[in-house]
Amino acid sequence: MKILLVEDEQKIADFVCAGLEARGLQVTHCDDGNTGLAKGLEGNFDVIVLDLMLPGQDGLSVLKALRSAGAATPVILLTARNALSDRIEGLNLGADDYLAKPFYVEELAARIHALLRRLAGDRQNILQVGQLKLDRISRQASCSGQTIELTTREFSLLEYLMRSAGQTFTRSQILEHVWGYDFDPSTNVVDVCIKRIRGKVAALQEPRDTATPIESVRGTGYRFKQS
Amino acid sequence: MLVGWTRVLAFEAERLEQRLCMEAKRIATQPMRGEDMVRLAADILIKLNLTSPDQLLMQFEVRTEGQNFMLVKGQPESALDGAVWRTATGLGSAGELSHQSWQSTLRAEEGMPSLLGNKPQQPNEPPYDKGRPRWDRPNQMGACSIASFKAKDKAWRAARFTVDAGRSIVAADLVATRADVHSALKQALEMVIPLALALTALGAWLLSALTMRPVNRLRNAMQVVTQKALDQRMPSDGEDREFKVLIGAYNTMLSRLEASFQQASRFSADAAHELKTPLTILQGRIEQALAKSEQPALQNELIDLLDEVGRLSSITRKLLLLSQADSGLLLLQRKPVDLSTMLDEITADAHMLETSQDVQSHIAPQLVVQGDAVLLVQLFNNLLSNAVRYGSPRGWINLTALSMPSGVEVVFSNNTSEISKQDRARFFERFYRCDAAHNRRIDGNGLGLSLAREIARAHGGDLALVDSASDVVVLKLTLPLSKIK
Repeated sequence: MKILLVEDEQKIADFVCAGLEARGLQVTHCDDGNTGLAKGLEGNFDVIVLDLMLPGQDGLSVLKALRSAGAATPVILLTARNALSDRIEGLNLGADDYLAKPFYVEELAARIHALLRRLAGDRQNILQVGQLKLDRISRQASCSGQTIELTTREFSLLEYLMRSAGQTFTRSQILEHVWGYDFDPSTNVVDVCIKRIRGKVAALQEPRDTATPIESVRGTGYRFKQS
Repeated sequence: MLVGWTRVLAFEAERLEQRLCMEAKRIATQPMRGEDMVRLAADILIKLNLTSPDQLLMQFEVRTEGQNFMLVKGQPESALDGAVWRTATGLGSAGELSHQSWQSTLRAEEGMPSLLGNKPQQPNEPPYDKGRPRWDRPNQMGACSIASFKAKDKAWRAARFTVDAGRSIVAADLVATRADVHSALKQALEMVIPLALALTALGAWLLSALTMRPVNRLRNAMQVVTQKALDQRMPSDGEDREFKVLIGAYNTMLSRLEASFQQASRFSADAAHELKTPLTILQGRIEQALAKSEQPALQNELIDLLDEVGRLSSITRKLLLLSQADSGLLLLQRKPVDLSTMLDEITADAHMLETSQDVQSHIAPQLVVQGDAVLLVQLFNNLLSNAVRYGSPRGWINLTALSMPSGVEVVFSNNTSEISKQDRARFFERFYRCDAAHNRRIDGNGLGLSLAREIARAHGGDLALVDSASDVVVLKLTLPLSKIK
């Protein structure tokens, strides 16, 4: 899969390229708006990752020019400004997603994959890894056909881990994603929540796989076992 | 007022002198007809508004040889000898001119040729007049002089009318005549003063209403200009010149205030923004290193670093939101938000935290507001974190959410160590952490509550510290209720 990254900050571009390539994505990088627009118009990219603040033309003008030229390539905006107006304007101009800086490359990769799956017409509402299946619409979780009663937080946490199965997440990452901003990071709420999910899965009458699907990565965090 | 009063008195004094002169003239001219002195006295008493014969003194002296006069009628009065005479005022510069008209009036009235008229005009002055002041010289027309003197423990005013045949003196008790003036004035003032006061009050009211109108306008405009509306300017069209100057000065002050406020606000926004790039790089590089690392010890270290970067990002994000709120740019992505569900989750989180505190909640169902879900979650996370961090170990946390006519009211309360009034007053101050928080080495940056309040205000609500016992913290959030369709 081919990704076009338009980002003027070389150091950010470096780790984004490295991170995405490590996850099997092919990345082309350019560092100003004009080149970005020219490359984007060539049309041989699956996703464009576009920074908002760029020399030449800024991200929003590039996006606007792309869309008015009829280029339908999905675009993820990287915004450092965090201003809601930018985000809304970006989405109105035809951006498919946005990510506020600072961001995790893991999160960016997950968004790219989600975007591509969505465009490929995948059934987005069902997320299944191994025996565990999540229905994102009804927010029901089941394991081998047996329903698991999960709280909102538990469901969100499981969804977050399953979305990037095999990938390790730190407690802070999980906390910010599941609990939102400013939830006290000094608490053990993530561990408690993981413990509860594990308990609920283990309590099923016939767990075929007795090992828990959520693995603790010692000292680091948690990951969902890849099937 | 004082000037007016003085003028009234001066006028009355002059009038009295004129009347005395008139009466003196009557005596000087009429004794020749043998008029009864008593009758004349009674008449004069009435004319001068006097009440008792004691208040009047009358004399007529016949001119003898040379400068001498001889008292022929009336009471002798030794005090008169030392009196200093001056020309009557209001009778023309020398007291004669108006005498002519008096003379003619008298003549016409009384239908008799005057004493003076009967006498042939003398072109030359009599020899006894030589060297005397002109005003005191008796001429053919007669002259009137005025004197003040004291007799019988009273102050008198006397008029002396001199004709060729002799001279007459009429004196009146000053106090008695003034009493008349005073009572007249008093009567007049009794009516005039309330009327004048009423008129003054009415005038003052009208004037102040007129004057206060632009002042009130100015005051209202000033009230509108809060921290977040510094771009407001007062229009000065149609105002008086003085107010234009005032409004101009006020607007200039606002401009300067706005400029410096914008600068300060932009500074923190810019600073926060500039911090984001290095933070992104730092976070990305640590994440990269963590992915490559195989050693658990190194991984632990990297995770710690990542957490610190996360904390820095959180402060940066808060600063940015605060600066946006300060400049009124905290835009909300408003959607119907089910507060009841959100607060149930917060309560569940509080239970899940497994703190030693007892968590109680009472949340009314179906509390829906129009709001930004991300920011509202951040607000509640801040309030809960605050209660958990600063609450007493093995204490209690209470959460209630109710629908009030004015909107949704969410109250977070918890017990804590004693918090002084000074600390309470600075509760919402940025980067402020009370001593208790410092002493207990509790994590936190002192931005959470002030941001929570800004989020509440951006939603049209407010967050306030409610008065309570010194070891209890009660924070009340109000949010306008959205109309449920």
